[in-house]
Amino acid sequence: MKIWLSILITLVCAGKILAADVAADFSAANKLYAEGKFSDAANAYEKIIQSGAQSPALWFNAGSAEFKAGHLGKAIAAYRQAELLAPRDAELRANLAFVRNQVQGATVRESSWQNWVGSLTLNEGTVLTAALFWLTLGIFTARQLRPALVPKLQGVTRILVVLTIFSATVLGLQAANHFSNGTAVVTVAEATARSGPFDEAQSAFTARDGSELSVLDQRDGWVQVANNAGKSGWLSTKLVSVLPGA
Amino acid sequence: MQLKIKILFLLVASALFSGAAFAASFTASLDRDSIAVGESVTLSLAFEGAQPRTIPMPSVPGLQITQAGTSQFVNVVNGAMTATVTVTFNVTATQAGEFTIPALTADVSGQSLTSSPLKLSVAAAAAPTADAVNSGNEIAFMKLIFPKPRIYVGETAVARLELYLREDVQNLANFQLTSSPTEGFSAGKLVELQNQRRRVQVGNRAYTVIPLAVPLTAVRAGDVELGPFTANAVVVLPSENQGGNPFFRMFNQGEQRQVTLATEKVVVPSLPLPTADQPANFSGAVGDFSMTATAGPTTLTVGDPITMRVQIAGRGALDAITLPVQDSWQNFKTYPPTAKLETSDQFGFQGTKTFEEIVSPLNSDVHELPAFSFSFFNPDDGKFHTLTQPALPLTIKAAGATPLPTLAATKTSAPENQPPQDILPIKENLGALEKSATPLIASPNFLALQSLPVLALLTAIVWRKRADNLANNPRLRRQRAVAQVVAMGLNDLKKFAAENKPDEFFATLFRLLQEQLGERLDCPATAITEAIVPDHALLRTAPLALRTALHEQFQLCNQARYAPVRGSSELNSVATQFEKLLGELQNLKS
Repeated sequence: MKIWLSILITLVCAGKILAADVAADFSAANKLYAEGKFSDAANAYEKIIQSGAQSPALWFNAGSAEFKAGHLGKAIAAYRQAELLAPRDAELRANLAFVRNQVQGATVRESSWQNWVGSLTLNEGTVLTAALFWLTLGIFTARQLRPALVPKLQGVTRILVVLTIFSATVLGLQAANHFSNGTAVVTVAEATARSGPFDEAQSAFTARDGSELSVLDQRDGWVQVANNAGKSGWLSTKLVSVLPGA
Repeated sequence: MQLKIKILFLLVASALFSGAAFAASFTASLDRDSIAVGESVTLSLAFEGAQPRTIPMPSVPGLQITQAGTSQFVNVVNGAMTATVTVTFNVTATQAGEFTIPALTADVSGQSLTSSPLKLSVAAAAAPTADAVNSGNEIAFMKLIFPKPRIYVGETAVARLELYLREDVQNLANFQLTSSPTEGFSAGKLVELQNQRRRVQVGNRAYTVIPLAVPLTAVRAGDVELGPFTANAVVVLPSENQGGNPFFRMFNQGEQRQVTLATEKVVVPSLPLPTADQPANFSGAVGDFSMTATAGPTTLTVGDPITMRVQIAGRGALDAITLPVQDSWQNFKTYPPTAKLETSDQFGFQGTKTFEEIVSPLNSDVHELPAFSFSFFNPDDGKFHTLTQPALPLTIKAAGATPLPTLAATKTSAPENQPPQDILPIKENLGALEKSATPLIASPNFLALQSLPVLALLTAIVWRKRADNLANNPRLRRQRAVAQVVAMGLNDLKKFAAENKPDEFFATLFRLLQEQLGERLDCPATAITEAIVPDHALLRTAPLALRTALHEQFQLCNQARYAPVRGSSELNSVATQFEKLLGELQNLKS
């Protein structure tokens, strides 16, 4: 018992020390940003992210630093990572819209339904659906155990069933969007998509820094993308940042 | 069989290549040395006497080169065999000029061989003359039509590219636009106009017209140029050697012919937007638009957000429209707007652009959201127009101790009352840390957890079924009740035996016998006496030993009322026999 308690205390303390370290690094990166050292700040934020920690504020600041350093694509990629964690953050939406407006050339944007289902994070949608599912089955279980409650629970049961089905449908759309509709954001000044996954292949189209492209396939360091005109081509993963759907 | 032939061929070819490595050669050739823009020529790289390890890939600006295929053949002359591998490329000219395909170097069986450079003359594609078109000799030709005599910078237009196919063309395939210069325009994707094909008479021949459209936006002033557009296509014509025989005509597959098409160049004067009478808040919108604007809530506290929704609908370069700066919004903090575009035509020129902008009042002296105006230039009448949404009354309460909402700026916020010039400041607080982890929906543990309510429900359903069965089955209910009574009674019997209480012992035994027999025979327990044993149909069919044992038990109970007191050991023995008898009774099928 004492051993388990010791392990638990050690883990909690280690977690707190780690969080304190991350907070200190975050403050240091913020200071670099305030001093106008945007590239250094971007690197500092990226280092924290690579350590495994992430938070909406961390991705938000990383995006801002990348934007100030002139990297539109990296900024959009970071803002979209933040959006996955905090999709209803108004400041984030404003910054993302501002940076997207700076992007030259055509780009693929989320459809209205993707925006709609993306207003909740995937985990929020999952927890909400699970809660409704548990509640609905709980009501059904109570109806079995106490048949006298059936008339009283009639209305609640119907509402819960409808809500659960609706929530599950939205979650299905969210999951399909998350796992199937990836996005590649171009992170170099100009990226030439090729007709095949090799450097010698013919050029298919060119995309500018910050262009968002739909991901169709991924293979050995290459990602097949499509632009808003429906043209598809292969880009090296060195030229893009690949993000999951919202 | 076919596989065997292939293997044999490869063996022969390998043998030839290995044996003739010393005599290897590499040559490059073109099937033609002069073509027009948009036409294609075949480049052949021939490796004779050896297998190439690498195929050189030529690259020449102005020529589009794609690999077409590889072929091998074996040549036997006077008993001497040589094998040749030929790699072919399609070379399509995308611009006019003199081109040189440079010397190519290939590694052939360890030898580095170089081909000779090749020259290719590419003439500018020319549209057919009016006489040629009217003569009906042209199988296909294209016309480029720009709908306006002049255009303003920022104005949109849809140019038509009409493809004419002569009446005897049976099919069109591989239509490929090889050049589509749009100097001074921003061009969209070329699309076919659906359901607008028509037949026209040109000279003495009928043609089918396939209309295509390209959306354009003028991006600079001066003369802007469109075309010449060039294209390649394969048309299928009736075969000339079909004769008049209807039988052969039925199986006629037609004759395929490659055609190169070109249009004239169209030059359009592009006018700059007038500077006279240009509204102060004009932000470059060109077209014909209408505006609706809504805002809410109108009763709020200082610092609370008001969402302003502006819809601009109409025709023009909707994608380029931005919300104008509103100079009268000094008392509001504004945030960069978000925009959503919904188009109703295939070119994206007609539709609605919806902006959502969040503003928040800075003090409680604000009584209205100032009038919102949007200006645009209409190229149809050559004038600027301003659309204005009237001021919206607001009820603003002082903030008091209420903190500013999340949307409010942090201490280093961007300059206020300006259109978005920059991103919003960074966040000072790190917030809750999250570990990069698999989404819950893909976590096996989380999914397994979801089976718990299902199991609970199934358990409840099974329990309910059993309860209902019991409620609807009085015999089963009695059987269980009797089983419970018997289990308790047997304990009592053992207790009374141990305490040597024969009266209580036999009274209990008799009661248990009545309960068990009553349950088995489906009659009231009080109605059970020894007389029922020979009378009841079920017991008459029971084994003799059982009936005898029953008699004995009844006799014992009767005798106990009159006989002297028995000892504990005898009572225990009776209890054991009775327990055995109960077991047999319970197994008796009722």
